[in-house]
Amino acid sequence: MDIREIARYTLGKIRETGADMGRCSVRSGESTEVYYESGKISMIRTVFSGSVRIAVINEKREGSASLNSFEKSEIDAAVAEAFEASKHAVPDDAEGISELEENRSFVFGKREPDRAALYGLMRGFIDDTAKEFPKISFDSISVSHGWSEVCYMNTNGVELYESNGLSGFEAMFMGRDGELTSSFNGTGCAFDDNTVPLIDRGLTRQLLAETERQTETVSVDGKFEGEIIMPPHFLSEVVGDACGIFITDNVLIDGTSPWKNSLGKTVASPLLNVTARSACPELPAASALTSDGYVARDAEIIKNGVLKSFLLSRYGAKKTGGARCPGWDAALCVEPGRDSLDAMIAGVKRGLLVNRFSGGSPAPNGDFTGVAKNSFLIEDGKITKPVSETMISGNYADILKNISAVSSESVNSGGSIFPWAKASGVTISGK
Amino acid sequence: MLTDHIEKYIRAHGFKGYTEIRAQCNSSKRFGLLKGTMVSNSAATSRGISARVVKNGAYGFASGNDFSEDGVSAIVRAAGENAAFLEAREKPGKPDFAPVEAVKRRDGFEAEDDVPRRHYADFAGELDAYIAKKYPGLSSRYVGVSSLNMEKLLYTSDGTAAHSYTPRSSLYIGMTAEDPDGQPVDLFESMGDWGKFTDVFDSPAEVFAKADELFEKLMKKREGVYAAPGLKQVILHPDLAGMLAHEAVGHTVEADFVLSGSVGGPCLGKQVASGIVTMTDFANTAFGKRCPVPVYVDDEGTPARDAVLIRDGILVGYMHNKESAAHFGVCPTGNARAYSFSDEPLIRMRNTCILPGHDKLSDMIASVDDGYYLVSTGNGQADATGEFMFGIEFGYEIKKGKLGRAIKNTTISGVAFEMLKTVDMLSDDISWCCTGMCGKKQPIPVGMGGPAIRCMANIGGR
Repeated sequence: MDIREIARYTLGKIRETGADMGRCSVRSGESTEVYYESGKISMIRTVFSGSVRIAVINEKREGSASLNSFEKSEIDAAVAEAFEASKHAVPDDAEGISELEENRSFVFGKREPDRAALYGLMRGFIDDTAKEFPKISFDSISVSHGWSEVCYMNTNGVELYESNGLSGFEAMFMGRDGELTSSFNGTGCAFDDNTVPLIDRGLTRQLLAETERQTETVSVDGKFEGEIIMPPHFLSEVVGDACGIFITDNVLIDGTSPWKNSLGKTVASPLLNVTARSACPELPAASALTSDGYVARDAEIIKNGVLKSFLLSRYGAKKTGGARCPGWDAALCVEPGRDSLDAMIAGVKRGLLVNRFSGGSPAPNGDFTGVAKNSFLIEDGKITKPVSETMISGNYADILKNISAVSSESVNSGGSIFPWAKASGVTISGK
Repeated sequence: MLTDHIEKYIRAHGFKGYTEIRAQCNSSKRFGLLKGTMVSNSAATSRGISARVVKNGAYGFASGNDFSEDGVSAIVRAAGENAAFLEAREKPGKPDFAPVEAVKRRDGFEAEDDVPRRHYADFAGELDAYIAKKYPGLSSRYVGVSSLNMEKLLYTSDGTAAHSYTPRSSLYIGMTAEDPDGQPVDLFESMGDWGKFTDVFDSPAEVFAKADELFEKLMKKREGVYAAPGLKQVILHPDLAGMLAHEAVGHTVEADFVLSGSVGGPCLGKQVASGIVTMTDFANTAFGKRCPVPVYVDDEGTPARDAVLIRDGILVGYMHNKESAAHFGVCPTGNARAYSFSDEPLIRMRNTCILPGHDKLSDMIASVDDGYYLVSTGNGQADATGEFMFGIEFGYEIKKGKLGRAIKNTTISGVAFEMLKTVDMLSDDISWCCTGMCGKKQPIPVGMGGPAIRCMANIGGR
């Protein structure tokens, strides 16, 4: 099945409607997963997938439809439905499609899954963990290989193609000691070679070791304002949430972003550098294409604390009069800094190493509050006791401004690269 | 409507060992307006076949979207090969599941979603125009309407042949205003139920009052204060009780979590709540009415029955699929559910509810000297330890038995089986949340219900 042919067929049908413009995105793929739960490798799963997404724009009105069949009769019906839907859409000058720049194809990774290799990685991980960390109990582990290809075409003549095959794993686990149980912890990453044992990937070994220590915890007494150390997986959530609240399409379109007038201004500590990165050998899970129909390119988002670009799509840019971010949809990364992690921890008088955050949705001004999970108290420069029932509150904009150190060490998850960061001004409270 | 190629395949080939074959179609429609700008106008169909084969305890699963008889054959073969591959390496050596009662069932299509897309656009447009005209001072507003219809055909080697159709329709209203410092403050309301859109929502005018109510709350919230952090006496609105039932307790007593080491394991048969607390995961019918997410047969072909989890404060049971039921030596409860055709069934909640008590909400509020009345929630999360949290989007201080100032967004947390022991009042009415989605490897629609609750909880703040 050639998805380019299906995309050409679909685009032809869009043109036949007489609409002003249109686009389609055709995707197919195969994934194989080895799955562990309830104390055993329980299942092997194979999924064959395919989908067609269609958008028709006529008289500035957009209608869309999607289906997961390549049957021509069903594509015909979906195109007709999208065209019909466009008739009662709200007209909008910003509707449109990507402009023709250069038609490109990108091919990455292996297409064929190696079921035996995936099984071997899983079995090795379980055995390695049992040997090194006997108090760890897994809730679930997924080791998988996924291959997918996507073809984007529109009536401006844009034809883009990308295929990518890569492996990945995700694990959820807890520490158990008799009837004592730690909080769930988790880790995972994407990779394009199956030679490295999973326990050696990313922070896996460290997180397993920390989780074993978390079956007996303390709660913080009262409340205090302290410093927090944000490991890479937590920092990626903070940066991702902050970008979502402050610099993405919807909050700039409706004008509620507190950073709407901050382009070119300082919004964060001068130590913070945020980039959006496209596909490269270092980031096998990053995409070469954006979902609004362009080749993804690297972009500076925050440079030395200054906001250099909003994360606007083509539509968001047209709607707000701003510039489209060439790295829209790309992988968000934070550049490593100059401090060693050990020195950062040593400088904390009283605070928390926050490994995981479980909280309510952040408010539109950036306020957040939630439970610090799998986290440790830091006292006089040393990581001391694991905590539970401890809440942290603050504001994402303030945290980014209050970053006082960024580590020289970083972790590559295959889809992003983040260091550790230290920030002040967080309220830490116990029962 | 799904075309049934599976029956033809089964007549020709039969079953080779324990096998489930499922055809499924999820269809959805969505229309959304952000401050009058259309941000969604979509319809999606996801349809395909899956097979799960179990060989001596090793599971093989495969799925694809080729609906032909050859397509069914290829998927069953791939699932069988996966099971054989795993069985040869892990050698689990488990016996087949005990057969369950074969279900022959076919849902009608009286609720089939034939509502044209224009209706969704018109409905959202009228509601948005009402809000825009009446409340021009809002800095932003959102109106979204959607439907999700799940149709399944399931055949199992136990003899089950079941067809189910579960339509669900939802409406979301969001408003944003500026607080006195010029910072944005928002509030959302979601509503919905089982059924096609026009059956659940008669007309936009019928929800104008909900929009007015939301605006009044938002005006109070924009003047709101941070909660004082710490352990406080709180009254949870009935809408939060469902979240408590689902997040705080429900997840810890899903039998697969129990087998992984959740705190629910060592607590079976023990007092985990005050004696006034009883909690059930209803299969399809509660208090004589259809539940928000009725399940009559699960995706392993087990007839669904209610799972009583806590009775009079004692943890009395878990939610099971066939495998966990065999492990614990009990009957499966029919909790094995899959979201998409390409998903394997997992142990999932259906309609989890804390049963009502005998108190009046007004008396409960009047009984609190210094605490909070927590009214609406956004999201929640559970943990193996029983420690849970959920976000609070709207609530009030309670001072000397009277409602005080509104509070800003916060989060409450606690350890479920400690917190439930502090429950000392339950209102005599319940409400169901009919728009909930639970995430556990896959999303799944769930119902959550309960009465107002008085208890102690750890609240975040400054």
